[in-house]
Amino acid sequence: MPLETESTLRIRSIIKDFKPNNGDLLAALYAVQHEMGYLSKEALAVIADQFKMFTAEVYGMASFYEEYRFDPPAKTTIRWCSGPACRTRNSAGIRDAILATLDLNETGEQTEDGQCSVVVGQCNGTCELAPMIWVEEHKTYELPVGKLTAAKSIKLARGLRSGSGIGEILNG
Amino acid sequence: MVSVDSAASGTQTNEGSSVTSRYNELVRVADEEFKYWLNPLQPRIDVANDTSSLANGSDRIEQILKQAVAESGATIGIGHVHGYGIQSVHPTVSITWPNGTRILYGPVTPERCSDLIQEAQDGPNSHLQDLVIGQISGESGEIASIRDHPFFSCEPDERRLLANLGITDPDSLNHAIATGSYKATARIIGRRMPEGRVRDSLIAAGLTGRGGASFPTGVKWNFLAGAQGNDHYVVCNADEGDPGAWVNRVVMEGEPHSLIEGMLIAGLATGSRTGFIYLRDEYPLAIDRMERAIQNAINNQLLGKNILGSDLEFNLRVIRGAGAYVCGEETGLLSSIQDSRGMPRVKPPFPAQVGVFNLPSNVNNVETYATVPMILRHTSDWYKELGTESMSGTRVFSFSGDIAQVGFMELPFGTPLAKILDSCGGIHTPNGEHGKLYAIQSGGPLGSLLPSHSIDQLILENASFAPWDAIMGAGGIVFIGEGTHILVLNELFSEFVEEESCGRCTTCHGGNQRQTEIVRRIISGRGRRDDAPNLKLVDDLLQHSNCVHGQFSPKTMRNTLQHFRTDYEDAIAGYDPTLTLSGMYELEIVDQTDPLLNEAATICPKGQFEGEAGAWSINMSGCVRCGACIDIAPNAIQKKALARSPRVIPIA
Repeated sequence: MPLETESTLRIRSIIKDFKPNNGDLLAALYAVQHEMGYLSKEALAVIADQFKMFTAEVYGMASFYEEYRFDPPAKTTIRWCSGPACRTRNSAGIRDAILATLDLNETGEQTEDGQCSVVVGQCNGTCELAPMIWVEEHKTYELPVGKLTAAKSIKLARGLRSGSGIGEILNG
Repeated sequence: MVSVDSAASGTQTNEGSSVTSRYNELVRVADEEFKYWLNPLQPRIDVANDTSSLANGSDRIEQILKQAVAESGATIGIGHVHGYGIQSVHPTVSITWPNGTRILYGPVTPERCSDLIQEAQDGPNSHLQDLVIGQISGESGEIASIRDHPFFSCEPDERRLLANLGITDPDSLNHAIATGSYKATARIIGRRMPEGRVRDSLIAAGLTGRGGASFPTGVKWNFLAGAQGNDHYVVCNADEGDPGAWVNRVVMEGEPHSLIEGMLIAGLATGSRTGFIYLRDEYPLAIDRMERAIQNAINNQLLGKNILGSDLEFNLRVIRGAGAYVCGEETGLLSSIQDSRGMPRVKPPFPAQVGVFNLPSNVNNVETYATVPMILRHTSDWYKELGTESMSGTRVFSFSGDIAQVGFMELPFGTPLAKILDSCGGIHTPNGEHGKLYAIQSGGPLGSLLPSHSIDQLILENASFAPWDAIMGAGGIVFIGEGTHILVLNELFSEFVEEESCGRCTTCHGGNQRQTEIVRRIISGRGRRDDAPNLKLVDDLLQHSNCVHGQFSPKTMRNTLQHFRTDYEDAIAGYDPTLTLSGMYELEIVDQTDPLLNEAATICPKGQFEGEAGAWSINMSGCVRCGACIDIAPNAIQKKALARSPRVIPIA
């Protein structure tokens, strides 16, 4: 069991109502990531303690799922829609344009200054907006930006990289 | 075990009537409220608030309307409904007047909000003629009924599962009860209907699983009812992962109580006291709405202990997924609920023997459960009036891609696909021009790619897709226009199935890696003669995977080799008429005098424009082919096909 520190106590209080062998682990991981931004080693250890599992088991479970992060997220995350309706409208070009603008090699990476990252998103059925991305800032909002072109996405990525808020970029 | 049978034998004779009177009391309260919803005392504007409407800015519209109403002091109510079906005109609002007339408008922009308030005050058709989509209820003469809208021309005269969509507030339990929800439950418990009768009526109605496999639901429930032990589970598969399908989202965001009631009835009919809804993380609004609806149902004794005052119990929970497509496979889903990696396992044992926490379980799709109450409320014969011999009833389909109108419809099985494409407004290019159909994608990444000439022979029925080595799937259909190469879609789906492979079978994770490599290499212009036989080999190998993910993953590639052979062969030879495969074209500046070229040079994310105004050139070696410069200066920069690659060496 990890030593009690301020953050372990906080994590413990987030997950105090979850029980082992009750189908609660996904929810516990979600709750911790939602509050803390990501699943740190410490968080995994505390969760393992609560669920009477080994930390390695919890990590093994969590790492199977796309949504869990084990490093702090970037300030802004661009979630790029990988669906077919977007793909027929140059969404692959949009992905490459954003990656090139942010000097990233592939999706899943973030810029060195921690300002932006690009992750692969899944279609949620708002295909009238294709091609689209979602711009996310942790715990503040998730904003769909649709009917993009490669040129628009480059302007957006440049703005985000220079630290502008998404509201400013879209209205300005 | 608590079941309908035991309730019949073990309780006092007056329990049935107390259940009925408890239900009647709920209906009385609900009717009272709903009456004023349909005929409000003052005009009411209902803003659509489903995922698609919100993505199109309906929350902003609502904010502006609320502020304007507050400032002007107008006596107008503001409410919520689900969108009606045509997502291309979102955000929509509907206005309901005291006489019961309700009209749907869209797309609403912030600038038109003041007109909207005027319209609500002055009556139908006074300020917003250009935004009218159709009349949902009432009689005002001039405005055509929404049912006559071309987009809904393939739908039956009356919707069934989506009957209340766009009319009721999905967050309101009273609206659900007033429109018939929980009536079937009250009847089953109140009249102590033997549990077998419920399952028999589903078999008689011909209800089949809506997740794609189309197994008879009543038979599946019989397996669970006959399983050993006292503790059974019912599980709802709401992990709708197929890109291009959002059928379950519509049902959960629009009619949450039909799913709850369907699962409750499944619990009663199979002796289960616990239900799980495994809902994908990408649908946060559906998660919210389902959780709220469950809480409402518990507060009104429709879930939990002592349902409607009887001694029956059923508990329902939402499990939030975390972005793993393979959890849509039922055994993967079950292990994901049990605090572990969502890896599918070998069947048998089937979930009806060994399911959640190693106890007998039943897994059905959202729509399967949601359809059950409706069948019991009406009759099996009523349900069979629509549909075909082999697939009865209706189901919701979502349509997207290069079509004029993206949206969802509730269609009877057997509807011709060509008619549906017409009602979606035909193929449209991104510029809004009419185009030609190139391919049809059904069934998601494990589904099919169909050629354009198949459309005249396709109807919405599994048997109609089979001759094309295709499946109809779970309701998502994407129409693809000319201008996209089939290999672009193959790359998308190959990447997807590779990424989402759970990794247990080497055939699946290794085979799909190999398949993706080959597709990417062909796209980069380095196709080889032996790629087709190798892809065939990968296909054969993948058939030995343990679960359907591996077995179905080469299907779209196989379809390409079957139905798009010429396009494939051309691509192998380095020739791509659509100029969408990145390795088969380069960019050429055709007009150096275009002033937009300067902006195009600055937009390039790689800085590959060289020279100066009047003498620009593009360094193709660093170009990522994102197309941004063409977006900026479409008349000055063009794609030019590369000469056929000399690297293609025919097999002797």
